Amino acid sequence: MTNLPLWLIPLFPLLGTILLGTIAVVSSGSKKGAAENIVGGLAVIFPAMSFACVTVLACGMPESGIRETLCNWIDFPLLHVDIGFLFDGLSRIMLLFVTGIGTLIALYSIGYMHGDRGFARFFAYINLFLFSMIVLVLSDNLLLTFFGWEGVGLCSYLLIGFWNKDLKNCKAANKAFIVNRVGDIGFLLGMLCLLSIGGAAVLNYDIFNQFMQMILNGGHLDLVFTLLTLTGVLFFVGCTGKSAQIPLLTWLPDAMAGPTPVSALIHAATMVTSGVYLVARMGKMFCMLPEVLLLIAFVGMFTALWAAITGLFQNDIKKVLAYSTISQLGYMFMAAGVCAFDASIFHVFTHAFFKAALFLGAGAVIHSLAGEQDMRKMGGLLKKTPVTACVMIFAFFAIVGFPGFAGFWSKDLILEKLVSNGPVIAMPFALGGSVNVPVGMILYVVGLATAVITAVYMGRLIIMTFFGEYRGSKESEAHIHEAPAVMLIPMVVLTFGSIFAGYLWADMIGITFFKDSLAAALGGAEAVGESILSVHHVNPVLFAVLGTLAALLGMFIAWRVYANKKIPTPKDSGAPEGSAAAWTFVWDYIHVGFVFPVRVIAWICDVVVDKFLQAFQWTLGAIGEILGDGASTFQVRRVRLQLALSITGVALIVLVALFAEGIVGIPDFVFKLIDSVKSLLGRVI
Amino acid sequence: MELQPIFIQILALAIFAVGIIVAISRRNLFFVLMGIELALNAVNLSFVGFAKTLPAEASLTGQIVPLFSIAIAAAEACVGFAMVILIFRNRESVDADSYSNMRG
Repeated sequence: MTNLPLWLIPLFPLLGTILLGTIAVVSSGSKKGAAENIVGGLAVIFPAMSFACVTVLACGMPESGIRETLCNWIDFPLLHVDIGFLFDGLSRIMLLFVTGIGTLIALYSIGYMHGDRGFARFFAYINLFLFSMIVLVLSDNLLLTFFGWEGVGLCSYLLIGFWNKDLKNCKAANKAFIVNRVGDIGFLLGMLCLLSIGGAAVLNYDIFNQFMQMILNGGHLDLVFTLLTLTGVLFFVGCTGKSAQIPLLTWLPDAMAGPTPVSALIHAATMVTSGVYLVARMGKMFCMLPEVLLLIAFVGMFTALWAAITGLFQNDIKKVLAYSTISQLGYMFMAAGVCAFDASIFHVFTHAFFKAALFLGAGAVIHSLAGEQDMRKMGGLLKKTPVTACVMIFAFFAIVGFPGFAGFWSKDLILEKLVSNGPVIAMPFALGGSVNVPVGMILYVVGLATAVITAVYMGRLIIMTFFGEYRGSKESEAHIHEAPAVMLIPMVVLTFGSIFAGYLWADMIGITFFKDSLAAALGGAEAVGESILSVHHVNPVLFAVLGTLAALLGMFIAWRVYANKKIPTPKDSGAPEGSAAAWTFVWDYIHVGFVFPVRVIAWICDVVVDKFLQAFQWTLGAIGEILGDGASTFQVRRVRLQLALSITGVALIVLVALFAEGIVGIPDFVFKLIDSVKSLLGRVI
Repeated sequence: MELQPIFIQILALAIFAVGIIVAISRRNLFFVLMGIELALNAVNLSFVGFAKTLPAEASLTGQIVPLFSIAIAAAEACVGFAMVILIFRNRESVDADSYSNMRG
């Protein structure tokens, strides 16, 4: 057992942010910018130190995890929150790949961002992102997780709009930020609901788990079931925002406007999976709510299928990968929806490797083609950039689930769990009677179909990019070059990850290391879920065979359709479209339906309420001004006299106050004076 | 004869009156400032005088607060003199009656 304090882990990226931010601000005036090797070195060293801390802690972690409370944050009768950290099996896995892949991608970015004017600024953002992500994962309560959740959202916004000279990028950044806010409302309201059920301290994960266990053991589920279901739905809304699920998925494809390492780190490997992390973290609650689980599973299913189909029609290499990310996230939620939280986290883990590798490969391709992202202008790059091509092809095998690669283990595990855990629901007919719907089977069939489509569109990407003839212009062909070593090393490391990461949980050859390491953290949520969902055991080999067949079928279709197809020269530009919605994305139009009434309300507020209030305000202001003008004529314009009058005034006010309180009696001569004045007046009148 | 609390109040009132009269009647800015300081310290004295009428343990607050007020008065005097010096540099005069730029 080591005694490294947990706060060291987020501290390093925070220091990096401050240091690099200072460098960025200081060097912003100079013509050349800060020296790239120093900035790049700093940018890598801080995440690397963080990773080292995590590794040391991960090796010496006791079974129950490490808890550490830094200080009290909020403490009043309704809410008690500490700033504390929880390092258990779940946060260990997340932290290992967040800091590890973060370090690799920072290293890669040194090559990718070479010569960019905002070099130091970029790395300051990356470090800030890692800090927020670590806080999100490491915190021991929901509120601090929410802090990190907002932090990663902010960094995502900053990095999508990193090249802010182009208005399209800024629009994409705004879209990502605003769509995420919709989800965040779900998160906030969910916390509020939870507080109203569980009391002041329930936001802490340990107390949360105890509370849920108490509800389960005591059989009080009926009492809070409605509110708890609402809580579950609200938290899931939060997750759909961050993890780009239906209906809040539209921001992720547009987020590809950012630099490619950002897409790899934030919009593929880490940030977008935080929704899955949250569901797994709160698994103890979700496993008691079959309706919410069903919702999660079906949303995941539709998202996976929809995004995969959309991916077939994209020409931008990064957009294909974006849709594939959404689709894979759909798989993770499907798994979470049948209480297989460990399987979904396992897919998060393997997906982080192969999707980061794919994105970094795509970045290397874009880099070698001097910014070209349109796959219709690529082709035949296998000979020109062999290392990148190998990385991408290995990662391709991982994502389609080719036997032995990482995706094979995790995706087939999810598909297997869908059948074994999937509930059977009695669906009432309109005409009376009911029919038993095997939900697990439906999920499985759609999941398998999605796996085929995945193989098709990924095969299309590989074929269009690396095989056939080069379709760009002749002069650009001469400039194609392999990426520098600083970019290739992280890619190769991630490739090894995407080949071997799956062997941490290979059921078929009897390795369940990953499952065991998560078991304590998930706290028996799966066991509860499985008892509710009535699990029946199935033969994993059958699923592996079917999954492999699906991958092979998809690859075969891709080869038949795209290998010999003449790809037309593009008429429109292949540049990222910013916030412009592609036709395949009906969801953008659905969003408009929600945005329009808000706009109407905003217009009413602007024209009616605001103008009315302004008129009121102006009236008050005018009265004040007139009164002020009048009062200023009382000024005697001489300092000493003014002072004397002021003092006299104060003295008079004090006297009046004293008289009014009856502390000092009014002297008799005042009454006599008043009487004499009265009599005088009476005589005059 | 024992020191009666009312005597302290009378002394404080006298000092306060002197301070105010100086502040109002002198034209030299330095005297104006000094008058204000005198008035302020008269109030401090009055504070301590009232504190003396209470029993010993309760009077502690009344004796400590004037110490704070003296410290703040010192700070305020610094600022006041800095302003006087600036105004003097600007106008080359310490006559309060010549400062009539700010009339409304």
